[in-house]
Amino acid sequence: MKSSDSDTTHFGFESVAVDEKVRRVGGVFDSVAQSYDVMNDVMSLGVHRLWKRVAIDLCAVRPGHRVLDMAAGTGDLSLRLAKLVGEKGEVIASDINASMLNVGRDRLVDEGVIGNIRFVQANAESLPFADNSFHCATMAFGLRNVTDKSAALAALFAALKPGGRLMVLEFSKPVVPGLAKIYDFYSFNILPKMGKLIADDEDSYRYLAESIRMHPDQGTLKSMMEEVGFERCDYHNLAGGIVTIHRGFKL
Amino acid sequence: MIFNSAAAMVLEKALNQGVKLDPATLAALEDLSGKVVGIELTGSGLKFYLFFSKQSIHVQAHLDGEPDVCLRGAPLAMMSLGLAADQQDVLFSGDVEMSGDTEFGQRVKKIIDDIDIDWEEHVSHICGDVGAHQVGRAVRGLSEWANQSLHTLYEDIDEYLHDEVRMLPSRDQVNVFIADVDVLRNDVDRLEKRVERLVDTIRE
Repeated sequence: MKSSDSDTTHFGFESVAVDEKVRRVGGVFDSVAQSYDVMNDVMSLGVHRLWKRVAIDLCAVRPGHRVLDMAAGTGDLSLRLAKLVGEKGEVIASDINASMLNVGRDRLVDEGVIGNIRFVQANAESLPFADNSFHCATMAFGLRNVTDKSAALAALFAALKPGGRLMVLEFSKPVVPGLAKIYDFYSFNILPKMGKLIADDEDSYRYLAESIRMHPDQGTLKSMMEEVGFERCDYHNLAGGIVTIHRGFKL
Repeated sequence: MIFNSAAAMVLEKALNQGVKLDPATLAALEDLSGKVVGIELTGSGLKFYLFFSKQSIHVQAHLDGEPDVCLRGAPLAMMSLGLAADQQDVLFSGDVEMSGDTEFGQRVKKIIDDIDIDWEEHVSHICGDVGAHQVGRAVRGLSEWANQSLHTLYEDIDEYLHDEVRMLPSRDQVNVFIADVDVLRNDVDRLEKRVERLVDTIRE
């Protein structure tokens, strides 16, 4: 979300120029791409697999569907989506960051996923796809890093076919009493240390923790989706609200 | 919601472990790609959707629209569909309901029927052919013994309950009793009519 001064935005807790944010987020992901999957498993104790699983379940895709996996990163969602939509369907794995997309492409080829998947490096704020061309769009742990979130949601809305759905999996605000304190301690004290130990990059994981705090909470994101035109928006809290799945339909 | 997804995850793992042991089934599954099989366990609220791709089965907890074929039934009835010697009985008894593209459903059923895991072959990878044969013989002997013991136990219990403690009636006794109840019910019906007629005559 942009701050009141339209030329600056936030990068974690810092305030930076809009162009600067894109460059610095790019730097974070260039830095963590190689150890991204390992860190995900360590940070979430492997639970992120279940979260992604639930998210894909809620996409409810079927064979033949055309799916856009925005912020595909290392391809966790694309991998399963490509298998579900089958040979007649298609998955477009897209990410703004070339390093992450390269890791994802190599991994999917290694897993034998070819033919029904394509890779596109694109900025979520201005998608290079025809309007009304996807049955489903997903964005897992990506929206947080986008500078202009409303523009990204609007672009995704345009790319969806009527009846299509958007599924956003993102960190959110813990709703279980007492959880917030433990979670804060974990993310500001333990997480950056783990980042240093495993990825040799403390700053990137400090940014992760800070960017989660600056991300709009459940209600705000839901109304942002409604503002760009999504209908029947709902959200499901996972792990007490640490992570939330948002859903909206283009009707 | 999480529970459904987690259950789907467990089922997927189990199914894939199973089909991996039988290469013929794996090959057959490839023909099913692009189709979706729905499994609905009534009463439990659990629904699973099976997707097929090369070399694996994927299980989802949600689907947009209807699956190509859907099997609906109580969990126990579903299990008996897998275990019963004659699945037609289970289907025709109405315990398990099949809807959608039934021809496709029959193809799925045939693949399930044809699953034949060559355990000895898989064991032989671990301990060699001779070892595997020994293990196979031991297992066959054991299962034969288990079957026989189970059968004997069943007969013993049957005999004990029917003939020794006389807690349960025999099948013939039950049949005679049921027939007697039918006769009695008919007699009561007739009596009722006669009483009604009698009442009518008295009133006139």
